[in-house]
Amino acid sequence: MSAWRRVSFFCAFVVTIMLLTGSTYAIPAFSRQYGTSCTTCHIDFPKLNDFGKAFKDAGFKFPKDDETFIKVPPVMLGAPAQKDMWPHVIFPGTIPGMPQIGLRFNQFFQYTGSSANKYYSGQVLPGTTPGQLLTPTIPNTDFEAGFFSIFMAGNFGSDIAFWVDDDLSVAGLNANGELGDGYLRFVNVGRFFKLPTDSLTLRVGQFELDLPFTQARSINISPYDIYTQANFGASNQNVNNVIQLADAAHGVEFSGGHQYGGYHYSVAVVDQSTSGTSAGNPANVPTPTGGQIGVPGVGFVSDTNYKDIYARFSYRFNLEKDPASRHDVQAAGATGPRDHTYLSLGTFYYEGRSNQHFTGYASDGVTPAVISAREPFYRVGGDFSFNYRNFNLFGLYMYGHDHDLVLNSAIVPTGFIPGAAVTFNGGFLEADYLVLPWVMTIMRWDRVQSTADFLSGAASGNYFSPAGSTRDRFTPGVQFLIHPNIKASFEYQYRPQQALYYSSSGQTVEPFRTNVATGALEFVY
Amino acid sequence: MKRSLVLAVMLMTAFVTSQAGTISGKVSGVAGESVVYVEAPAGKTFPAPTQQPVIDQKGLMFQPHITTVQAGTTVQFLNSDSVAHNVFWPSVGGNKKLTHNLGTWPKGEKRPFKFENPGAVPLLCNVHPEMSGYVVVSPTPYFAVSDKSGEYKIENVPDGSYTVTAWHEGAKNQSKPVAVAGDTKADFTLSK
Repeated sequence: MSAWRRVSFFCAFVVTIMLLTGSTYAIPAFSRQYGTSCTTCHIDFPKLNDFGKAFKDAGFKFPKDDETFIKVPPVMLGAPAQKDMWPHVIFPGTIPGMPQIGLRFNQFFQYTGSSANKYYSGQVLPGTTPGQLLTPTIPNTDFEAGFFSIFMAGNFGSDIAFWVDDDLSVAGLNANGELGDGYLRFVNVGRFFKLPTDSLTLRVGQFELDLPFTQARSINISPYDIYTQANFGASNQNVNNVIQLADAAHGVEFSGGHQYGGYHYSVAVVDQSTSGTSAGNPANVPTPTGGQIGVPGVGFVSDTNYKDIYARFSYRFNLEKDPASRHDVQAAGATGPRDHTYLSLGTFYYEGRSNQHFTGYASDGVTPAVISAREPFYRVGGDFSFNYRNFNLFGLYMYGHDHDLVLNSAIVPTGFIPGAAVTFNGGFLEADYLVLPWVMTIMRWDRVQSTADFLSGAASGNYFSPAGSTRDRFTPGVQFLIHPNIKASFEYQYRPQQALYYSSSGQTVEPFRTNVATGALEFVY
Repeated sequence: MKRSLVLAVMLMTAFVTSQAGTISGKVSGVAGESVVYVEAPAGKTFPAPTQQPVIDQKGLMFQPHITTVQAGTTVQFLNSDSVAHNVFWPSVGGNKKLTHNLGTWPKGEKRPFKFENPGAVPLLCNVHPEMSGYVVVSPTPYFAVSDKSGEYKIENVPDGSYTVTAWHEGAKNQSKPVAVAGDTKADFTLSK
């Protein structure tokens, strides 16, 4: 077993654990501010119902007559009459009357099939005396602390919304987390250009891309495999694209329309998510808050002016017969408002360039030289979502394509020549059924097809040695709200086959699966 | 002649007074408003009032929180919110067979319902579980809502023997026999 394989396995396991603790948020601060239940906006938090989508679209406020619902009045940052002096600007504005802060903690228990340790069975530890065997390192049972997160969201009035979520602690004692999303959202700025209402909204900061189905605020314990699929070429290729669709991006986003009916679009221009230099690197000037050049500080992380572009368009057909109900935020039913029966169709496209820097010396053997491969790539896909009462069936397909630029010489390369593109595809299909207002059942199928992963013997994300180019995973789950803000979740991952050995004919020898059962307990307040 | 007239007036006044007493007292053991009403004597019916009180759904709340009506009263349910609600009640006086769903209607519109059965009606909203209200249906026109200290007074109750019931949100009802003869005292101590 090679060292890199061992390391990749370890990393994959760690990543798996980290991803298992994926971010999910409901906003108790809104409950406090409006004096209303979580179910006003959520179905099995943090999944949004139609009203929750409208609330979010409107900039974290009620779509109509917001002020009549607020139980904690906002603080005016100036007398209302001040606005008479500045009628065309938003001065003086407001801030929420209470800190819009929510906290969340989760923890996990995981049972992993013992077959996971077949990986080490009979394997020789690299760099040690031949015959020394690795001992099994994946416990069958494992308790994991998850995240302790703080999140803030709200509206500053005048249609300016904000969101910040940060993990104070991640899976360990006093461990450091990181910023999730942090942005300002200027809702309906199209009004300044006399555009139709809600046709143009601006978001600036760090945010999850406008994915067809959110990963950051998913109800699932484990992430969608296709969202965490990076693209690494096989050994004869030179593609090392770490971008995953689930990654948070830095940039600006223009969007419009509504998530609860009709059209919706977004176009984001974001930093290249590739091999940017580290924030603390003193050579990476400027250092806006870090002081003088040469002193480690907080710098910009992008090493290129090139920006990636993400675009999405979707259209949702609300299928209510009654026109008034069809066009309203929620449909009217005999037992009260409910989510529409709808069919939503969408498409998305991400285009960027993957940077790789090669450092060495010029042909004189003395002069330092750097050559950079900027490999264009794109991700394109489609999605659908069908909802009928408490049943929601949705799915996504994505195709990924990376141009390959390989060094033009193995000895003294001076540039690149085109190689075979590295591609992958896959997606997921999920059915959610809300059996009771506090019981959600889930069935999910994930698929990723990547020949490069198979040839490399290492896949990104949750698997380390796929037995074939196609990786299927089935994940049934059930979730219980044992209290409106406390949730117990369970899922079982029937995972793809993996293999370490192949016969002379290329057939897998003793393939195995690292199936995992996970239970999660979390609360927000 | 004059003396006779004065005597007649005095006798009539005494008669009328004896026919319309009051029941007053205090509901203790709980905080806030309580409802006290007189149960209907056997075989006795009362004409339904024509007045139709309004219960509003405003700011994700039922307003007023407690509405007391006589059986047979039609209550108008108004929606003043720009969000949809759904008014329903799971029981009337604890009888789950009397559950009813009024449905959903747009802002500014009302929907009537005639409450025939006495008892407390817990109002709920399917969409906003925090919304809570009560209609307390009294079988007779003799009822009162206490002040926040628990003091109440039911006026114009004909003399006689009755059963009087006290209701408070979240507490167990308490009923007791009361013989009304002029001003009568009846105190209640409720518990959760």
